[in-house]
Amino acid sequence: MDRSETASTPGAPPPATLSDLEERASRRGPAFGESAHILCDNLVRIYKTEGVEVVALQGLDLLIDKGELVAIVGASGSGKSTLLNVLSGLDVPTAGVARVAGVDLLSMTAKDRLRYRRETVGFIWQQTARNLLPYLTAAENVALPVRLAGRGAKAGRARAAELLDLLGVAYCAGRRPGEMSGGEQQRVAIAVALANGPEVILADEPTGELDTDTSEDVFAPLRTANRELGVTAVIVTHDDLVSEQVDRTVGIRDGRTSSETLRRESEDGGIIAQEYAVLDRVGRLQLPRDFMNALKMERRVRLELERDHIGVWPEETRDTEGTDSDA
Amino acid sequence: MSALTLVKVHRGVAAVLAVLALSAGLLVSAMPRAMQAAYDRALRQDLDAASAQAADIVVTRRPQLAEHTLTTPAAFAELDERWQGLLPPALREVTEHGPGSRAHYSAKTEETPVAARIGPGFQAYQFVNVGWLSDAERKVRYVEGAPPGPAGRVRVPARPELGEIPRFDIALTREAAERMDLPVGTMLLLGHSGTIAARVTALFEPVDPADRYWQHNGDLLHVSVRRGGPDHDEFHITGLTSAATLSRLTGEERQLIYRWVLPVRGEDLTARNARDVIEAMAAYSDSVRVADPGAGKGFIAQTGFQADTGLGNLLTGFLGRQRTAETLLALLLGGLTVVALGVILLAVRLAEERTHAALALMRARGGSLARVTATGTAMVALAVVPAAALGYAAAYLVPGPVTALAHAGPALLALAAVAFAAVRLALAHRGPLRERRDDMVAQRPSPRRITLEIVVVGLALGGAYLLRNRGLTTSAEGGADVFLLLVPVGLTVASALVLIRCYPYPLRLVVRLLDRGRRAVPFLGFTLAARARASAALPVLILLPALAVSVFAAVIADGLDAAQRESAWRRAGADAKLESTVTIPQDAIERVRRVPGVRAVVPVAKDVVAIGLGGRPGVGVALDLAEYRKIIAGTPLSAPPPPTAAPAAPKVAALVSPELSNGGEFAITWRNRIDVVPSGIVRGLPGITAETDRLVVVPLAAAGSIAVNTLLIQGTGVDPAALAAAARLPVKPLVATFDGELAEIADAPLAATVSRTLLVVTLALGAYALVAVVLVLAAGGAQRGAALALLRTLGLSERQARGMTVLEVTPMIALTALAGLGLGLALPYALGPGIDLSPYAGGPATGDHPLDLVTPSLLAGGLTAVAVLGVFTHTAVTRRRALGHVLRVGE
Repeated sequence: MDRSETASTPGAPPPATLSDLEERASRRGPAFGESAHILCDNLVRIYKTEGVEVVALQGLDLLIDKGELVAIVGASGSGKSTLLNVLSGLDVPTAGVARVAGVDLLSMTAKDRLRYRRETVGFIWQQTARNLLPYLTAAENVALPVRLAGRGAKAGRARAAELLDLLGVAYCAGRRPGEMSGGEQQRVAIAVALANGPEVILADEPTGELDTDTSEDVFAPLRTANRELGVTAVIVTHDDLVSEQVDRTVGIRDGRTSSETLRRESEDGGIIAQEYAVLDRVGRLQLPRDFMNALKMERRVRLELERDHIGVWPEETRDTEGTDSDA
Repeated sequence: MSALTLVKVHRGVAAVLAVLALSAGLLVSAMPRAMQAAYDRALRQDLDAASAQAADIVVTRRPQLAEHTLTTPAAFAELDERWQGLLPPALREVTEHGPGSRAHYSAKTEETPVAARIGPGFQAYQFVNVGWLSDAERKVRYVEGAPPGPAGRVRVPARPELGEIPRFDIALTREAAERMDLPVGTMLLLGHSGTIAARVTALFEPVDPADRYWQHNGDLLHVSVRRGGPDHDEFHITGLTSAATLSRLTGEERQLIYRWVLPVRGEDLTARNARDVIEAMAAYSDSVRVADPGAGKGFIAQTGFQADTGLGNLLTGFLGRQRTAETLLALLLGGLTVVALGVILLAVRLAEERTHAALALMRARGGSLARVTATGTAMVALAVVPAAALGYAAAYLVPGPVTALAHAGPALLALAAVAFAAVRLALAHRGPLRERRDDMVAQRPSPRRITLEIVVVGLALGGAYLLRNRGLTTSAEGGADVFLLLVPVGLTVASALVLIRCYPYPLRLVVRLLDRGRRAVPFLGFTLAARARASAALPVLILLPALAVSVFAAVIADGLDAAQRESAWRRAGADAKLESTVTIPQDAIERVRRVPGVRAVVPVAKDVVAIGLGGRPGVGVALDLAEYRKIIAGTPLSAPPPPTAAPAAPKVAALVSPELSNGGEFAITWRNRIDVVPSGIVRGLPGITAETDRLVVVPLAAAGSIAVNTLLIQGTGVDPAALAAAARLPVKPLVATFDGELAEIADAPLAATVSRTLLVVTLALGAYALVAVVLVLAAGGAQRGAALALLRTLGLSERQARGMTVLEVTPMIALTALAGLGLGLALPYALGPGIDLSPYAGGPATGDHPLDLVTPSLLAGGLTAVAVLGVFTHTAVTRRRALGHVLRVGE
């Protein structure tokens, strides 16, 4: 794909009557992301160490609907993991709005945060070793969050059996992580993340340490959980295999969402993917860096509104044709 | 996940924690017991060495009025009950009473002269007192004649002017009867006024002459000979009389004394109740003085009752020595406790680091802070509490009374460990997934902290200066000197602060130098070492006092050994010394010379002499100084060279003490008159006489007729009994050997305990220091392994990796070891007069012994060497792990 497209309804709107316009004016539009399951609005996270300040998220916007399976991609240091830590309640953003399943992540007390981690989210880290306690069996590992939530050992065991079965690793129930393959470990880790029946599951490069075949084995259960249990899933990944199989891929650059790729099935059964640049609420747009480089765009560009698109021209090169961006 | 699972999984760390808690609990609980037991043994020894007269409580009255006279045993018994009743609880607990005890009462006349003897054989200067003992029938048996009967009256035909006078029956010991020529049947007239007659009716002997009872009544058993005038001796004895004569024994005509003896049970006196006993004794003296059964009747307000005992002085003296001893032991025990606790905390930190991943996961998966903290803390408690309890129980194997410290010590240690774990865990897991990146950014010291550190260092130095100027507080109250205990703590903390703050600087200098070199490993190693990491503070805070106290203990042990040897030399005078009250003839000297092991014998004459015209008493010593100097060469003893002047006979060249050296020639009377010419100064002959002010030393050859009464012997393995036997003297000589004296000094309860304590403390602290090093290595192991693995991917060889680890870890340990060595060596000087070794040294300790650097240096050097070895081993073990595995785990 070499074109970036901003979505708009095809064709011109029908002319509105005066009463239509009045009604539209008197009606308040829905708040930003009101219906979204995961909402990040102008999210900022600044890490401060002695004398050094690192802005990991600089005004990130993100909307994810309930039941979506979304991949988040981006270069190293772009802020993916920070975003995931914020969403999982392990980290507190510096400013902005972050809401998951109706829970405001900025105004939570320690108690709320604990309940949020117990009931609302489940997460999976990249390192298989970090997800599971090496001296507990798979079943015990899955039962741990249930017991930590105070639901008792019996409930934990039952839930563990159910989830391990669902994820196809029931045969590993009595094994310790050291006795399982990397793929099996990650599937058990998914079971652990799902143990308390969360509404959202967050995975940080769950296939990062795995080979292609095994990656498929791990991604499949995630998709299963998403489809069968209706869990919203957010996966940070570098893995094309993963990013190409989700409905939506969000790209992050320099602490902001920069692009989105939407996939839909074409009439002949193939997958059509379209990449869009993200337009934020105040109209900011991030141009892809290679586009800017190709036209030597720096500091200033000239915009021109056409009938159905906006043209973007480098400074003082207005006569150059064919370089406009089609809207 | 339960704490038990954590213990099972991290059993290595748990075992280390348990062993540390066990050993610390044992040491902290057992050492105070052993010390208390030693104090008690020392007190018992003091009491045993003291006479019953000095240790027991005696209530006395010298009745001078008729109404003060007690005429029946019942009257004595009534007062005895009164005295018992007045005893404060603290005294009642330590005194004997009731039947079978040494408690008794007596009435005795004093200084009663024999005025005449009815019949032939009168001897002048004899004194025969009449005495009644309340329990004589149990304590003596009559061996000749009939026991004394009731008093009667008698007329003396030779002295009609006396009229009818009272007659007492008395019994004497055979020794008195023979020595004073008073056989059974002798009738004496006693007293020049109010004369009474005394008839010797029986001879008796004590049932048990060794009974301490007789120390109160020795005047009945043995004749005492006192100098009565320039030309005669007086002979004193007390004759035992019966209770029936009490009514005639009044104080109006002769000196009479009533005594009630309240014996003190030595085994019930301890170092802990000594102070109460002293106070109770003072109160008791007061209450006895004002207790007058006949108050208001007589014109004398003061009754004349008096309670006397040497117990107070005995105990006060003991407590003074105990306090000196306690100060040193408290210092050692305090240092040991602090280090033991520090090492336990280091192990707790290791446990916290090891369990961090699991607990962080628990926390991330929905574990509450309370639950996560409780789980981790319970793991530490599971390892520490039973072990500390076991150590506490094991301390019961060490004999000794249980003090509050022995109870509380292990509990406090366990509590501190558990509390530390709880606080650390709570801080570490306060927020979930707190990434710790202490090593990334150097903490910039805050001005407040720097000010605080400067204040601490200033206070410590000021405290040490004040202490040196002030010395130990002299009051006997209040236990150990708190200031003295605080100064070493302050100095240690100050040194640690300076070290933590400053140790990177010399290393950075080295780094700068190495930066120019071609080799990368030293540069990298020192760069890592020069990072001022916060995690380095705890190891320094443990290693420094551990080394400082163990070096201090080694220095003190050395000083103590030297002081004890010096004392032993001073007591023995040579390898062996044979002292006799009678002359040692030449053939006896020859026989002693032939005893196996004897290499040389120096005959010495020593006696009290009259100096100059005034006849002031002094000590004269006659010996061959050149010979004596030869046999004491290489010992702490010294003697001046013999005088070189040779005055014309009969004058004798002599060394004299400085006090006598000003007046020119003088004469001394030592059997004969000897004219001495002072030809040198002698400031003392420590092995021979304690006299230093009036001492005259003459050559033995010059003092022809003076009898040799002491032999100074050089030899090895000389048997004292063989020496005494070889001399074959009519009176058994006193033989002292250096080895014997040294053993006696070193085996005294306090000395033996302090030596053992010093050894235990040195070893324990050495071990703790090692454990601290190992724990530091283990704690940083994973991080170091990952860093090394990364460097190995860049081309670092295994050997270089090992070298780098050594260079990273060793400088901190070496610098701490150096600082600890310096502090340990400086502490005895800083504490100066506060540390007094004399209670353990068997005499005054001079303390100016040359410093032995071998043991302390070995301690510091050994520790550093073992630390380096540990690092090598550690890298050798981590080397086996696959590079990829390490890198992935460390990610």
